[in-house]
Amino acid sequence: MKRAAQNQIVVPRRTERRFYGHGIPKVELDRLAGRLIVVEGADGSGRSTQIAMLVEWMEGSGHASVQVGLKRSTLVSEELEQAQQGNILSRTTLSLFYATDFADQLENIILPALKAGFIVLADRYIYTLMARDMVRGMDETWLKNLYGTALEPDAVFYLNVPPEELVQRNFAKNAGLDYWESGMDLGLSRDMFDSFMKYQTAMAKTFRYLQSIYGFTIVEGMRSVDAVNAELRKKIGAVLAGK
Amino acid sequence: MKTFAELNFPGRLIAVEGLDGSGKSTQIYLLKRWLELQGLRVYFSEWNSSELVKAATSKGKKRELLTPTTFSLIHATDFADRYERHLVPLLRAGYIVLCDRYIFTAFARDVVRGCPPEWVRGLYNFAALPDLTFFFKADLEVSLQRILDGRPQLKYFEAGMDLRLSTDPYESFRIFQGRMLEQYLAMSTEFNFLVIDANQLVENQQAVVRELVAQKLSLENFVRAERPPPRPHAETRKPPRAAKRLLHAEEAVE
Repeated sequence: MKRAAQNQIVVPRRTERRFYGHGIPKVELDRLAGRLIVVEGADGSGRSTQIAMLVEWMEGSGHASVQVGLKRSTLVSEELEQAQQGNILSRTTLSLFYATDFADQLENIILPALKAGFIVLADRYIYTLMARDMVRGMDETWLKNLYGTALEPDAVFYLNVPPEELVQRNFAKNAGLDYWESGMDLGLSRDMFDSFMKYQTAMAKTFRYLQSIYGFTIVEGMRSVDAVNAELRKKIGAVLAGK
Repeated sequence: MKTFAELNFPGRLIAVEGLDGSGKSTQIYLLKRWLELQGLRVYFSEWNSSELVKAATSKGKKRELLTPTTFSLIHATDFADRYERHLVPLLRAGYIVLCDRYIFTAFARDVVRGCPPEWVRGLYNFAALPDLTFFFKADLEVSLQRILDGRPQLKYFEAGMDLRLSTDPYESFRIFQGRMLEQYLAMSTEFNFLVIDANQLVENQQAVVRELVAQKLSLENFVRAERPPPRPHAETRKPPRAAKRLLHAEEAVE
């Protein structure tokens, strides 16, 4: 009896879908049967680890899943990477380049997968892109229009880890800090450690602001990997059951 | 949205718009030569020409990866790169900047492709308006003929094949261009287009263009300080041979 219950596969309940703004032309929203789950958080917040564990769990539970993330589009990922290496893009250009990368994945991966009833796990979504641009002084109204193309996810989890801990985790992994994740282009400080702390503090503040608009679920990241994953599984389980 | 003059830039931006085959590129080239030969500071920028973005755009086009949304975004990226790195700094430095197509091309094209007009306009609202916008208005048949006579191999996106208007590229191109013309005409008053009759002879059109430019800009403000035209290597169109001669002549004097 107990075993039978364990093998029971939850069929995701249908819910209303909407785009944040103008959306993508000619998409039939009511045909998107899958679920879109977003995990947000800074580098070092444990996103990738958590997502890998979630994929295992979901596949084990009988759900087909697909993963997307920033700078992974067929269309512009290589060019974007190249341009960033040289650090020659000005802020509007960089912003639009990322928006192109996002839209390409939205139309060619996310929407078709949702139509086919897959669970799409997004390793970051428009919120990171918006936060980065807002920290760089870009206009919020402009960004909202730009990302009006985006589909509203079924759930967004923000892994909350303070900058002091992020810096330690980054060092443990790479023994160094990433130029962009330290916001070095902003000229906050010539000292990379200092710049990282200031930048990540500003990012966390912007995320709190975006949370007040988009209402994501904040998950406390200062716990063991398993504890965080258990909470995510519980919450995603509820989303799939339509609760 | 304001023009560069209204934003107190010392430079001025002149844009040309029109259908493929309206002759706008010929006209802006002749305008550029006229300004350069007067010794003015001039810079020319062409739609879809940013080195950085080009690789991605051509891959997208070749492999037909682009949707209306990504087509729009990648062109906006190209524009932003040229705008922030070239146009704005040059306008700050008091140049006359000539643009072969400006944001109105996106306003017309992306909307014909099915993007929401407010979304497209929103994307480009970081850009100031041109101080002068010439619209070369040719009869649809005239511009179609000019293209179809010269370049019988129409490219996929150029012919608007992605819109599935017709399986015949020529027919698709005709319908696509017709819709573009409607969009342009609808914008004409709102953005103060200076409409030039592009059915006229090249010389007649150019005479009108030069007269309007002389009338509306104080050209004496743009005289360069004894230097040859900048960056002749940045040219993508016909090599400015006359400019090179000038350059050599000046070197000889020195």
